[in-house]
Amino acid sequence: MPNPIFSLLDVERSYELRGSGWFRAPSRQLKALDGVRLEVQRGDTLALVGESGSGKSTLIRLMLGLEPASDGRVLYGQRDLAQLDAEAKKRFAREVAFIYQNARGSMNPRMRIEDILAEPIRLHQLCVEREIPARLESLLLRVGLPAGLLQRFPSELSGGQIRRIAIARALASEPEVIMADESVAGLDVSVQAQVLNLLRDLCRESGITLVFITHDLGVASYLCEKIAVLYLGRIVEQGPTDAILNTPRHPYTRALLQAFPRFDMPLKASLSGEIPSPVNLPKGCRFAGRCPQVQAACRETDPALTALDAGRQVACLFPVAIA
Amino acid sequence: MHSAVALTPRVADIPAIQEPLLNVSDLSLRRGKAVVLDGVSLALRPGETLGLIGESGAGKSTLALALIGLLRAPEVQLDGSMRFRDTELTQLREADYRRLRGNKIGLIFQDATAALNPCFTVGAQIAEPLKRHLRLSRWARRERAAELMHSVGIPEPRMRLDAYPHELSGGMQQRVMIAVALACNPELLLADEPTSALDVTIQAQIMELILDRVRALNSSAIFVLHDLALGAQVCDRIAVMYAGQIVEEGPSEHVLAAPLHPYTQGLKSCVVELGSRRLVPIPGQIPPLNAMPGGCRFAPRCPKAKTICSEQRPQAETRDGRQVACWFID
Repeated sequence: MPNPIFSLLDVERSYELRGSGWFRAPSRQLKALDGVRLEVQRGDTLALVGESGSGKSTLIRLMLGLEPASDGRVLYGQRDLAQLDAEAKKRFAREVAFIYQNARGSMNPRMRIEDILAEPIRLHQLCVEREIPARLESLLLRVGLPAGLLQRFPSELSGGQIRRIAIARALASEPEVIMADESVAGLDVSVQAQVLNLLRDLCRESGITLVFITHDLGVASYLCEKIAVLYLGRIVEQGPTDAILNTPRHPYTRALLQAFPRFDMPLKASLSGEIPSPVNLPKGCRFAGRCPQVQAACRETDPALTALDAGRQVACLFPVAIA
Repeated sequence: MHSAVALTPRVADIPAIQEPLLNVSDLSLRRGKAVVLDGVSLALRPGETLGLIGESGAGKSTLALALIGLLRAPEVQLDGSMRFRDTELTQLREADYRRLRGNKIGLIFQDATAALNPCFTVGAQIAEPLKRHLRLSRWARRERAAELMHSVGIPEPRMRLDAYPHELSGGMQQRVMIAVALACNPELLLADEPTSALDVTIQAQIMELILDRVRALNSSAIFVLHDLALGAQVCDRIAVMYAGQIVEEGPSEHVLAAPLHPYTQGLKSCVVELGSRRLVPIPGQIPPLNAMPGGCRFAPRCPKAKTICSEQRPQAETRDGRQVACWFID
């Protein structure tokens, strides 16, 4: 096995909730992530899929080094993210780019597109000043926008254009890894299709490693070759996209697939209830409360993520049988 | 018992079966010089569910707002007709509209957090239409509110009556809004993107709930949707809107399974399915209101467009059990 570009070793992230009131209630722990083990290989396209509250955004914040892990280690290459020195941090910032969920909100409204895109190039001194205009033009070309947009402000661009600019800015630092948080949510289908095609082509052509957060299994399967499904701060199933789509082994993955709207299938509410609060987690499997095939043992034993078949891992005591 | 009387629909309220509940014909809406809705016609029978689909800017929400009288003169100019039973909605005074809204016509909005008032308990908000339209007593309102909360799947409704919206999750808030919308057993339910802010598993629950309640009350529903596959799952009929016009309308199994209008075909080829083949985006975007092309409004983006398309507007014609407005139907 080659060296993974990211390895997460039993990563935990918990937040202290301080009690309030005069007679302060005892503080409680909110575990956003608990025992996450994950490897990302160079050139991988990985989707982190889960409902809101599953911990996918926290996971990506840890991988970006924006937050420390409460326990466990996040390795970038061979090095612990928490122990990078200033110089290594700067290199990390160049090599790992992030596309924010709110593309417009992630840009300074008073800066022109030109300056927004040139900022990472100048910061990392990727080329001499007079080469910058040519670079910007080729960046816009790569994301399929006309060079005329360089003089505009973010507020003058449409929703689809602004997402492309966000992608162009991520590409500006010539990264090896791009992480993206729900980058196509809330777009019209036609614009979403354009942005998805762009991201897919960029990754396939340039071999960039992509870590993509989404709640939409369709988007995940379109962009990524691997999928990790999160539930309440744990990875419950991960593996190659085809395997996950065709033979989901975790009941939660199967329920997500069944709830996905399809032209050829009737509507099916595959799960009752909602994702529970990550405060005071129940003993045993976290999904037991909503699981359609729960057994007595599930409420006692917390299943670990174990290898099942080719490249797939599942955290379930009674994995769904392959039909 | 006061409440029991109000809960059963009165005989006079039960509709004659095949009369359309809602009949919109040649409806146009102008905002200044801009024509936002242009010649929209559709009919909805009792018990039917209709999905309005299209990109943003197609006029779906505008049509919904016009139907419930939230967009009317003098801000906009309405021409044509919208008949709800025997009432001509375009001529209705605001006071009369208020008697319909929340009573005969229920509303569900996209963002429950914004639609619910943060200062009142959910119980009070569910009880409001019961007070206003049905004039139930305080006690009966509370009973009925608890009943409604139970019917929309909120666990322990009596305890939740006194909860404020922020104490509930997004899915639960959506359920509360559905309870408000259904409080007076409406004949028509308008739902503007009721689930687009929710996770898929919750979306399926909420949609099933809405359909279940609508069927139980034998009401009709209009859904504004952007998800075509969801439309296929929940709607009897689909109306595809583009730039303020309906370009294709008919039973959803026809319109979505084998679309005839190039715009519907284009929309369908953009939909991400599980394990999708390559997506084919529709080039360009909906033209701005002040620069609408003459002829067919979709012509500039249409792969099949010929000269006639940019010169003359195609009239809707019946084809394979649906209405299509296109010069070149395959």
